[in-house]
Amino acid sequence: MTNKEKYDQVFIDSFSVTADQLNEGLVYQSVQQWDSIGHMGMVAALEDAFDIMLETDDIIDFGSYLKGIDILAKYEVVV
Amino acid sequence: MKITGKENKQWSRLGSRATYGQAILMLAEKLENLMVLSADLGNSSGLDRFKALYPDKFLNIGIAEQNMIGVAAGLAKEGSIVFASSFAPFITMRAAEQVRMNMGYMDLNIKTVAIGSGVSMSFLGNSHFGLEDAAIMRSIPNMTVVSPADCAEIVKTVFAAAEYPHPMYIRLTGAVGFPVVYEDDYDFQIGKAVEIRSGTDVSIVATGSMVYQSLEAAKILQEEGISVSVLNMHTIKPIDTKALNLLISKGKTIFTIEEHSITGGLGSAVAEHISSIPNSPTLYRIGLPDEFVITAEYHYILEKYGLLGAQIAISIKEKLNLK
Repeated sequence: MTNKEKYDQVFIDSFSVTADQLNEGLVYQSVQQWDSIGHMGMVAALEDAFDIMLETDDIIDFGSYLKGIDILAKYEVVV
Repeated sequence: MKITGKENKQWSRLGSRATYGQAILMLAEKLENLMVLSADLGNSSGLDRFKALYPDKFLNIGIAEQNMIGVAAGLAKEGSIVFASSFAPFITMRAAEQVRMNMGYMDLNIKTVAIGSGVSMSFLGNSHFGLEDAAIMRSIPNMTVVSPADCAEIVKTVFAAAEYPHPMYIRLTGAVGFPVVYEDDYDFQIGKAVEIRSGTDVSIVATGSMVYQSLEAAKILQEEGISVSVLNMHTIKPIDTKALNLLISKGKTIFTIEEHSITGGLGSAVAEHISSIPNSPTLYRIGLPDEFVITAEYHYILEKYGLLGAQIAISIKEKLNLK
């Protein structure tokens, strides 16, 4: 599984979205499941998937599907 | 209710309050007669999703905790299983008479949940801290007092509480990033302590957030050749006397560790039991001092009062004259 596939799967599993929703429109609270609870679940799932530990500031900044790709790059995860 | 390490890690990220809300959400799928009450802290209790999905099962009573317990009593009398949450002092002090009469005396099936007990409300200070809550609640007849060790145990406690037909006080310590104690599923029963680590030189009895810190202390001491057992006493009342008797029979020094005043909590409960047993080992109580504490970031407060693992290890060595 590529990093892109793993990244996408976390969003699909965490927020019950489909692959065609994985774009610039997928931002915090744009879908019902991406609330504060869903956000932390997604963070934990990403940490598991990529064996990383996100800093608190990055968890707060992680406001969209695209922004997350930039943030993961800081942890040497290229999506 | 079975748990996995992966789930527990996710709940740990959410912290104790939001995990309570998640547990209630899962419980609602299985329990028709569930009612959930809040004293204007629904969002802080992680109940957003529950409110949205089950609006008929949720009541925001407002900042009126005495009334919340009264409403809970009425619902319980009509057959509901009621969970009512607020901050520890608002349940145990502001609504003390209602708790004593409606929960204790009437023995009604109400579970009060203290979100942010101990010092986990950090910058909200002493008005919101649960320093004496366990002391108050365990003095009320018929009341059961439980303090879960991590987020998985919060979920297990909520599910066990739903099947337990008596009043219960569930004391949530820890904050966001509540460390994981349990990687795997385990047997949880109200009133039955869990030995998490065996050891031969010293015995620790811990509850709530201090279970993890005690395990950290035990690891440090192990590296120095001191073998420490850790008992998770999640149920402070009724205390597991069988597990305590086993520790007493080993004859090794016992330490109690709790995120609560050293007056009236776990340490006192253990002291009350062993004081009646001849030739029992020495007991040392480690917890928050019998005073109002500082207002600060959660981790800083624990450090200030010597409640981090490394500090607990030092305290144990000092008491044993090993330093």
